[in-house]
Amino acid sequence: MKNAVTGIGLAPDASMVTFPVNMFLPGSDLTSLKQRKREFYDGLIHWKSALAQEAGSTRMLAVEGASYEEALTRANNLLLTNLWGDGLPLWPATQERVDWILRGSALPRTHVLGKFPPRGGVTTVETCAIALAMAGGRPEYLPVLVAAVEACFDPANGFDQLQATSGAPFPAVIVNGPIAKQIRLNSGFGLLGPDPQRPAGASIGRALRLLQQNVGGALPGVGTMAIFGAMRYTNAVFAEDEDGLPPGWQPHATTRHGFAPGTNSVSVVFASGVTNVRRRGAKKETPEEDALNGMWRMADFMRTPNLAALAGWEKGTPGMMMIAPIVARRMAELGWTQKSIRDFLWENSKIPMEQMRRAGAPAWIEIDANPVTRDSIKLDPWPICMKPDNIVLVVAGGGHPTHSYWLQAHSPSVQGRVIRVPETFDRLLANADRDLGCGEDACRV
Amino acid sequence: MVKLEFHDPSGALEVTQPHAPRLASLEGKRIGIVSNEQWQAYRMLPMLKEMLEQDFPGITVLPIDTFPQGNALIGEEHTAALVKKSGVDAVIVGNAA
Repeated sequence: MKNAVTGIGLAPDASMVTFPVNMFLPGSDLTSLKQRKREFYDGLIHWKSALAQEAGSTRMLAVEGASYEEALTRANNLLLTNLWGDGLPLWPATQERVDWILRGSALPRTHVLGKFPPRGGVTTVETCAIALAMAGGRPEYLPVLVAAVEACFDPANGFDQLQATSGAPFPAVIVNGPIAKQIRLNSGFGLLGPDPQRPAGASIGRALRLLQQNVGGALPGVGTMAIFGAMRYTNAVFAEDEDGLPPGWQPHATTRHGFAPGTNSVSVVFASGVTNVRRRGAKKETPEEDALNGMWRMADFMRTPNLAALAGWEKGTPGMMMIAPIVARRMAELGWTQKSIRDFLWENSKIPMEQMRRAGAPAWIEIDANPVTRDSIKLDPWPICMKPDNIVLVVAGGGHPTHSYWLQAHSPSVQGRVIRVPETFDRLLANADRDLGCGEDACRV
Repeated sequence: MVKLEFHDPSGALEVTQPHAPRLASLEGKRIGIVSNEQWQAYRMLPMLKEMLEQDFPGITVLPIDTFPQGNALIGEEHTAALVKKSGVDAVIVGNAA
């Protein structure tokens, strides 16, 4: 609740009456509401904000230790006790480290990107640099983080609700353009997990999560009611494998946002889960059967009443289907296109209304804020999104044909932003080569 | 001793508007209720309306459906404008969870 009021510029408290969660469940005993009615009345008559003057700018913190090791430990302890950590070791955002990170910005450090919802912490480029410093990032990662924050802030996302909701959506940031390789962002094996040869995604995603928590107020159980909260150490930040796109296929940023191929950009989908789909056949299928069986299996995974995806039924997405480049190439050779794949998945993921009724799903459609979505209740079978183009299709993953990956969404929109890099970017990349090895494929294991 | 100085990572907050002043009393006042229709609001808010009407002579508590309801609608400027236009002295908003 503090987040909600600070997010609209009020002091960080509010006149409210709180009850244990049991009160809010079907069939609950409401006796305590009657017993505590005076608290409601007092809230309208006597309440005063105790924190009306609380505000201000960021400040510096300090710790001391007998050694650097001890000071570092105390700094981490201080960050955790102030509820600014994630449980993993953090780099304290010293002025020196933040200034280093800021070399990656094409914008002034004081440039305001917006207020991070729902808490409303003022988010500048420097705020992003502080988070990236804490997350172990490097200067060349900052342009991607800034663009991702800008995309998250787009009003069409309803980011304040995504931050707070119990359903635990997390940003999945797709990066297109040459910057992905330049900063060592993974597009291949294990791209949604840790990779010491391609460490950028972990730091950028972790920094974004720290911003969500520390600046946006998404503290578990307080500012975010995410019941499970998976993928929230690093979110998901990865590159599309543009080299792996079959001839004639366009990068995601081009098909979804109209950016010219070769443009450095981010595209943000809010995912609420990840599901592995064993796509490949097991016996003597022909190539055509293997492709078609795999498509059916993907559609079968998508054919579920994911009611969180209602938020994006018209303009957002029901989810992101990731197919490995080797699968994309084989399918393209068989005549499949990006459009025909989306069309197939859309058509064959429709849910019979009888099944929707069995699951109580129509009630959620009926109360949706969007009249277009409400109107969809007339459709039988019911499509999981308004049109095939809502489905995000990305070519990424290891060079292996067995699996696809379905990230179901809670994504009212899918926002793209162009990444801006400073004029000195090449020097930063050279520094990365110096620090981390050459970064080319030949250097990799 | 080694001293480490580092940034508070929480970002600045800006207080740009005060909370609404409280009422001197509830007698004779006109109260609105804005419901998100969630978390048993359909049971709790009518009960609250009934208690207010019993305890404060002359109070008017507008029907629960006077204003747009639902999570997606109650935060909209249109809803705020309707609340202002209604001339209520105070508003109760519920239910959060």
